[in-house]
Amino acid sequence: MDWQLLLIGFFLPLFPLSFVFNAVLERMPNAWARALVLLIWPQIGVFLIAADIGHLPEWLQYWGLASAGLYAFRMLAMREVNLWIGFLATSSWSLLWIPAFDGMPLLELQVFALGFGLPLAIMAVTAGEIANRFGAAYTGLYGGLAVATPRLTGVLVVSLFAAIATPIFPAFFAVLHTLVLSQPLPAVWLVTIWGTWSWGAARLLQGLIVGPADLPYPPDLGKGMTWVMSLLLAGLAILGLMYIGSLT
Amino acid sequence: MDQFVLLLPVLPLASALLTQLFSTSMDRRVSRISVTGGVLTLLLAVFLLILMLSGYPVAQHQVGDSWGSLMFDPLAILMSAVIAGISLLVRIYSVRYMAEENGYGRFFVLLDLMSSSLIIMVAAGDLITLLISWHLIGVLLYFLLGHDTRSRPAYRYGFWTFITYRFGDLPLVLAAALLFHTYNTWSLPGIFEAIAANPGKETFFGFAVVEVAGALVALSAFARSAQFLLHTWLPYTMEGPTPVSALMHAGIVNAGGILINRFAPLYVYTDSILHWVFIVGLITALIGSVLMLSQNDVKKALGYSTMGQMGFMIMECGVGAFSLAIFHLIAHGLFKGTLFLSAGSVINQARDDDGVPKDELYRFIVERRPTKRRQPWLIMAVITLAIPALALLFSHLAIAPDLFEKQGAIILLFFGWVTGAQLLFATYHMESQNPWRLLAMIVVSFIVIVIGYTLISHTFDMFLYPDPAFAHQLYVAAGIDFDWFVIFAILTSLVIVAGWLRTYWSDRRHHSNEMAGHWWRNFYALISREFHVADVYSSASHFTLALSARINVWLRWG
Repeated sequence: MDWQLLLIGFFLPLFPLSFVFNAVLERMPNAWARALVLLIWPQIGVFLIAADIGHLPEWLQYWGLASAGLYAFRMLAMREVNLWIGFLATSSWSLLWIPAFDGMPLLELQVFALGFGLPLAIMAVTAGEIANRFGAAYTGLYGGLAVATPRLTGVLVVSLFAAIATPIFPAFFAVLHTLVLSQPLPAVWLVTIWGTWSWGAARLLQGLIVGPADLPYPPDLGKGMTWVMSLLLAGLAILGLMYIGSLT
Repeated sequence: MDQFVLLLPVLPLASALLTQLFSTSMDRRVSRISVTGGVLTLLLAVFLLILMLSGYPVAQHQVGDSWGSLMFDPLAILMSAVIAGISLLVRIYSVRYMAEENGYGRFFVLLDLMSSSLIIMVAAGDLITLLISWHLIGVLLYFLLGHDTRSRPAYRYGFWTFITYRFGDLPLVLAAALLFHTYNTWSLPGIFEAIAANPGKETFFGFAVVEVAGALVALSAFARSAQFLLHTWLPYTMEGPTPVSALMHAGIVNAGGILINRFAPLYVYTDSILHWVFIVGLITALIGSVLMLSQNDVKKALGYSTMGQMGFMIMECGVGAFSLAIFHLIAHGLFKGTLFLSAGSVINQARDDDGVPKDELYRFIVERRPTKRRQPWLIMAVITLAIPALALLFSHLAIAPDLFEKQGAIILLFFGWVTGAQLLFATYHMESQNPWRLLAMIVVSFIVIVIGYTLISHTFDMFLYPDPAFAHQLYVAAGIDFDWFVIFAILTSLVIVAGWLRTYWSDRRHHSNEMAGHWWRNFYALISREFHVADVYSSASHFTLALSARINVWLRWG
């Protein structure tokens, strides 16, 4: 049982087990590998937790909330985009402990995990594209992405807002659902985390996309890639509209 | 026919989609799509308003199972028509105004999406739909304010707006979760029915659900409508394009008043929340007006003017005059939108010729040269105090004889009286060829305004809250103990009259008081720093970011 608990703590990251996930993400050889990790990691977690939820102590959901708060707060000062993505992933996935303890069906948990994971995966790909063009995906160093690479910026902005639980993406409904299941004080904590994500996201955008850009402009994201990413995000939005789980 | 309400937000949404698809191929002509979408939306909104006025019953129309519903009711339809009208004007204005800007198509897409979100917000029939639209408005406004992505100040101040809105959204989210928890439905009419059936239902720590939910909803309304301590974003958002400023000041910032009106069936069962709403509105109105008077930048003065007006609007809700708040926000939206849209051309013209005639009014207001001739002060004092009071009393008594049973109405009449008296008092020293003619013209203008305002606000009351018992209940919920009310009224009157007397005597003596001068300089220093509210937020923000960085270092970024 302890091993199972430890394993779930790795995959739906609880502090300090979250160090493992963030270290794994940082050491991935390229952006696509990072995207894959961001897609698969929480799915393993929800699969494990759904199987063993009856045997886990309830205080773990509060540990999940505390971990989510810690990583949301740490996001604020983070300037390296891939680490930022890892922190948001840690913060958002550790919230999944609450619906899991409430007995949410596995499929619903998987959709919510996908709702957080897919936009983060798309962000990881765009961060890779940024690093290819500028040498590093780092806020406050160059800026002006919106002028230099508008398509890349568009994909980054929409995926970022999808990841911080903006309507109509599934993560919004996941957070709302988690909120409905929470007791009053954890609910206040939860909405504070949600607000902090927005703060971190706005800081990230300001350090990357705003301002004049140096000439010559680097090549923008290819049209084909833009279409693929846009369709994925549109599909995610439709999924959010169609499937809000048992929020009725 | 009333089901067409579902089409209202779809039209601008479709327009946004088409504008995005054709923005490359049509270049600047793409704005025609947006304007056409705006015209169709306005026509539909007017059609629905006519339906409503012709007696169609209130209804709720749904597209999803538990959410996606829109109301066909007076508040939703009236506000949809106003939003459709103002956003159409803003689009038409933007066609040429934005022609030289980058991201022309994107701007119209964002305007269309904003228009759709605003319509959904005012017509939302369930909490999820309301939360979605409420949240999206903040996000869209952030991008509209930061339309010029080269401008760092535009994004910095857009960021202030975004953060205030996001943290301001959270109480509404908590209120929604609490109401769903308690009544097991997201539907607003369903929740209001359940509240009416059992208004005393308690929640955690023994608080009544209506009190807690009412307070949370009011907090969100305060953030959206720039109430004091949550206002810093409003005057600084002038870096965004002028059409966005117009849309924001004419429409978006009014959302607080609309939200409180939407939750009126909840507020009628609250005990103390409306009192707090009144106090916050009053403080905001006073501070906003003071800050407006101290600005030397036209647009920033307009920003603080909006803050003051929003304070009045919230204050009107706090005294139970919910329909008056709607009339106020519409009237304010129209005149403030006009001011913003014409500010640019006025400044441009003033560069060549300010066009201000050097007449008596100019000498009095700008050059501060009062007349040396004086009228008998007793007659002037009687006119100053009596005429506004009589005009207000008779016009209101003619329409609502039960007026004095409503404390809220008395407070508003009191404000009207102070305003009218202040107007006459201020012109007492104005140089004029014929001072009695000037006075008569001011009195006639005041009476025309009072009668117009009274008639229109009464019409709004009949339209928005046709059930007189419910409208009366709102005033009762906002009322306080009668003895306390009388004490407050007397104290406030004394303070105002003492202020007038002081001004009068210091003016007659023609010498400055050293002590008072020192006091005024300190006060001016305080308001020139805008009461240090933004400084405190800035320090708190820097501290938070430094702490976050420190923790990251301790934890080695893992």
